[in-house]
Amino acid sequence: MRDRPPIAPTATVKAIVETPVKTWKRVRKFNLWSWIILGIGLIYFFLPLLATFEFSLRAIKGRYSLEAYRIAFSDPAFFRSFGLSMLWAILTIIITLLLVLPTAYWVHLRLPRLRPAVEFVTLMPFVVPAVVLVFGFIRMYGRYTFMVSIPILLIAGYIVLSLPYMFRAVDAGLRAIDVRTLTEAAQSLGASWPTIIFRVIFPNLRVAILSGVFLTFAIVMGEFTFANLLVWPAFGPYMELLGAKEAYAPQALAVVSFLLTWGSIGLLARIGRGAPGQGQIAGAR
Amino acid sequence: MAFLEINNVTKIFGKDTVAVKDFNLQVEKGELVSFLGPSGCGKTTTLRMVAGFEAPTTGQILMNNEDITNKPPNQRDVGMVFQAYALFPNMTVGDNIGFGLKIAKRPPEEINKRVEEMLSLIHMPGFGDRYPFQLSGGQQQRVALARALALSPQMLLLDEPLSALDAKIRVSLRAEIRFIQRTLGITAIYVTHDQEEALSLSDRVVVMYNGAMEQVGTPFEIYNFPQTEFVASFVGTLNAVQGEVLDPANQLLAFDGQTLHTAEDLSKRQRGDKVMIAIRPERLSFSSEGKKPNLIDCTVENITFLGSIVRVQVLIGNHKYYMDTFNNPFLELPKLGDRAEITCSREAVLILEHPGKDISLPAEA
Repeated sequence: MRDRPPIAPTATVKAIVETPVKTWKRVRKFNLWSWIILGIGLIYFFLPLLATFEFSLRAIKGRYSLEAYRIAFSDPAFFRSFGLSMLWAILTIIITLLLVLPTAYWVHLRLPRLRPAVEFVTLMPFVVPAVVLVFGFIRMYGRYTFMVSIPILLIAGYIVLSLPYMFRAVDAGLRAIDVRTLTEAAQSLGASWPTIIFRVIFPNLRVAILSGVFLTFAIVMGEFTFANLLVWPAFGPYMELLGAKEAYAPQALAVVSFLLTWGSIGLLARIGRGAPGQGQIAGAR
Repeated sequence: MAFLEINNVTKIFGKDTVAVKDFNLQVEKGELVSFLGPSGCGKTTTLRMVAGFEAPTTGQILMNNEDITNKPPNQRDVGMVFQAYALFPNMTVGDNIGFGLKIAKRPPEEINKRVEEMLSLIHMPGFGDRYPFQLSGGQQQRVALARALALSPQMLLLDEPLSALDAKIRVSLRAEIRFIQRTLGITAIYVTHDQEEALSLSDRVVVMYNGAMEQVGTPFEIYNFPQTEFVASFVGTLNAVQGEVLDPANQLLAFDGQTLHTAEDLSKRQRGDKVMIAIRPERLSFSSEGKKPNLIDCTVENITFLGSIVRVQVLIGNHKYYMDTFNNPFLELPKLGDRAEITCSREAVLILEHPGKDISLPAEA
């Protein structure tokens, strides 16, 4: 091999090597604008919440205290309404999942032509206002005593309200995996339908299902129209009632309900991050 | 009796979309048969009917003397490898490979042992704890192959398994698939639109077009003796032109003002009958390279160096033809525009069925 003379760096190479500070400055300037925009966003979201929190601490004149929280939590109706709403939210979630998961899966697998019709049905709460829907319920089923003595109409209403969110969350999850090929792969390995659904498809929809679950949870916990018109002691009407006679306790409850919702979202993010393979879309890479 | 028999199978989607027409095939045990054809020719639909994912509209499928036409896919005992790998993203490589064994309720020790065997077979020992997203495309497809084979199925079905991979991995993996198939002696059907893949892998190739079987034969037969215009044009590069029978008794043809001797039987044809004449580029050579009965005058239009092969484009009459010759550093090639004489043997001159239209010259490779 012949010896080569050492190659001297060209002017361009020198210029690039010797100007790291300039590049760094440019990146930093860009980051600064990002932080400013983020700051504006955070102020927009957090300022009203901080104001609400600050107001909730003024129940005793002249100093900050947790008196409003003590009043709110000492009311047995708070725990009763909160507990009932949570129970109804869980029932709503279970029934909605049983309804939406097989439907969305089957539409993806066998009936893609029905997708527009299913999507239209799930959009019902955006087309028909809740107040119209609840009066329809009362007029149609109000004559049956058993239907008004148990919260069946309330939960039915909640299911309708949560449909667009649950369906879209599950639908997005199904779109992210190759449902048909995964199903066929499992079938060719001898799997039955329940095995395919519970061991192959649903585990890959965990994040999507959790998104739908927490959205449904948040909707039901704050819902007012259905519970009020069907006269059920849910958390929404309780907060409204409390607001009519108290000034500080409802603010304390508003802060608590915010924390509950964020707690749910945090839980979702944590579970989603811990799910191996969730970021992988089945199919060619 | 053949191991797999597909008898008079037709598949119609909707009211009148015929995907597969009257398909008949017999596959022997341990044989690898490829379905080759362009998109929409019905090759995947046929494979899916064997797998049980589609039901034939008419016809019958027998495997090992058992009628499986209406048997659900999870009871057919076939392993399938998909183009999109279809590994279960929530399971590790080991769990993917052992999935079928778990379904079959095999003991955990047996499953673990089999998974290790399969990982060794695909040269991926130690990969059992990884997730599919941590593997390359080639590795994922090898795992998919191992998963399909773990249950020791009666038959292996491969639906364009290499299409999503880059060229280099495709070549190495197809050799690996063939080696594994031969080692295990498993009967296999391989669907592809890649002629090179089909010719290099298969014991027999089924060329399909428009839902129908065009020709079945060994790769050698398919390439060298195409029976139809479509097979000739789809498999390999081909010079094809319409000519006519000049002298049936002496097996003489005419085209573009030239005459050609053929080894094909012309006894049932009349003088003046239109025929489609086809010659593979590698069967043509410059006349100085050896004495052959067919001498054709031409003009050299273009010369392309392709490494091991030199492709010469010549003009005969109004038609362009290709001639391939092995690269030889001492070969004296004519210059562009030179008049030359090319030649071929009688056996190189093929007559294709379904004459009537010229096959357009393939694009320059």
